[in-house]
Amino acid sequence: MLTVAVLRTELVKSLRRTRTYVAFGILALIPIIMAVAINLNPPDARGEGRLLYLASQTGLLLPGFALRVTSAFMLVIVVALFGGDAIAGEASWGNLRYLLMRPVGRGRLVFSKFVVAVFCAWVAVLIVVITALVVGSIVFGTAAIGPPLSLLTGGQSNGDILYHLLVSTVYVSWSLTGVVAFSFMVSCMTDAPFGAIFAGVGLYFTSLILDAISSLGNIRYVLPTHYFDRWVDLLTRGEWSADMWRGVLLQLAYVLLFFLVGLWWFRRKDIKS
Amino acid sequence: MTESVVDPGVDPGAQPVVEIIGLSKHFGAGVLAVDDLTFSVEQGQVVGLLGPNGAGKTTCLRMLLGLIHPSAGETRLFGEHVTPGSDQLRRLGALIESSAFVPHLSGTRNLRLWWEAGGGRWADADVDTALAIADLGNAVDRKVKTYSQGMRQRLGLARVLLGKPEILVLDEPTNGLDPGEMREVRQLVRRVAEAGSTVLFSSHVLAEVEQICTHAVVMDKGKLVAAGSVSDLIGTAGTVYVEVDDSEAARRVLEGLPSVQRVDDEMPGLAVTMDGGRRSDLVAALVAAGIAVETVTARRRLEDAFLGLVEGM
Repeated sequence: MLTVAVLRTELVKSLRRTRTYVAFGILALIPIIMAVAINLNPPDARGEGRLLYLASQTGLLLPGFALRVTSAFMLVIVVALFGGDAIAGEASWGNLRYLLMRPVGRGRLVFSKFVVAVFCAWVAVLIVVITALVVGSIVFGTAAIGPPLSLLTGGQSNGDILYHLLVSTVYVSWSLTGVVAFSFMVSCMTDAPFGAIFAGVGLYFTSLILDAISSLGNIRYVLPTHYFDRWVDLLTRGEWSADMWRGVLLQLAYVLLFFLVGLWWFRRKDIKS
Repeated sequence: MTESVVDPGVDPGAQPVVEIIGLSKHFGAGVLAVDDLTFSVEQGQVVGLLGPNGAGKTTCLRMLLGLIHPSAGETRLFGEHVTPGSDQLRRLGALIESSAFVPHLSGTRNLRLWWEAGGGRWADADVDTALAIADLGNAVDRKVKTYSQGMRQRLGLARVLLGKPEILVLDEPTNGLDPGEMREVRQLVRRVAEAGSTVLFSSHVLAEVEQICTHAVVMDKGKLVAAGSVSDLIGTAGTVYVEVDDSEAARRVLEGLPSVQRVDDEMPGLAVTMDGGRRSDLVAALVAAGIAVETVTARRRLEDAFLGLVEGM
């Protein structure tokens, strides 16, 4: 019951914060801008990316394109914000010591703040997808893709596309949870929220850069971002990939590792802020 | 052995509500913030924790509250060993340094969330008393980030009292307050103490401690310097504080007088413990010996005693 009480209070703090809605608002704006831009300047089937072209043919695939674009940068920053600000933000206000003196157990507080950070990160992903789905349906319609374009989509029906969109949304959310967990871990170690946020963003880009160095060989398979984009083929071609399961398991390992290190550190930390 | 600040004649069998036992804290390799500190506080006492900046007062209080892990020793509340999140902390209200809140929430919302985070029902909190103390009027429904330092501090005191604590731990509670607000805080502490709560009160303002506290613990460089009742520390019983141009010559003269029991250094002067006699006799003897007398005060203030204790270390 105590954990539920802490979870509830932490959720209220996040949901009553302007920065949460600014982040959500920016993420909601991106698919709208995309839809307008694609509609005004339709992509060429030959020269543009396949996902972008398909997004211009049916509103059901605009979420896929929006997810691909935002998960490469904007979503990373937003989820790192939620993870990095969780503990360090409270410490920077000076309010952390009062929570601990209430007393709220350190383990319970870390768990609750992590759950709320992950929840907000997942909501952020969902906002991109839902906004893109609504705007895409309005601007590009929801007509089923017929031949010859259906060859590009693996002959998926609208129902298939929506199901695969749901799976892709969950996959992207889970993949980004690793970024949340890393920012959160650093947040448990520092009183400077921006440091923790940048650490999460830094981890993502460092991993991307290392993943591009083929001479690193098998090491690349354990980089946090190695399987990030494996959902794209599922959505556009309807092809399941074993790499998606590898991605899920890899993130599970990272999420557990980062969370447990953060918890271990915070339990031993002297609260001086 | 525990250095109790209780009066020798007051219920010696009582269980201390706060015990600091052999407490030490190292920060990094070379910084010893608290060094083998031991004292205890009895039920109903109002204890001032005194010491210059860096004496280790706040570190000591943070260890008592489970915020900082001791390097050695332990702290006890109501006889129970304190660990982070210890249940005994529910019986205590604390204000450490400045009050702090979630800035984007209102005063009321902050109080409520803080209370509920500990599993309390808002209906059980002493909200009316807390809000009366905060005395913020309609501002209590404004976001805390719009508050002045004084308003935050008053809201912090309100938060401390929500749970009708048996012990109040206040670390520099009058910081950032104007004189009127400082007086209100002092009156509040007195009212809380009169209602039976124990108060552990850290302050730089020695006159404030002298006005509020029944007992005091003096720290310097992390160590315990003295502990006892404020009147004992001040040493009102026949003590005269003297400042002269030549302390050594004055000491020889004063020690030769039959009315003088003891002469102690108390920088920059001398503390003269008298056994009867008049102050004017001291002055006359010093002047007759060619010693210029600059100050003679019949009773030391806590400030004098404090400075004497700390500088005498």
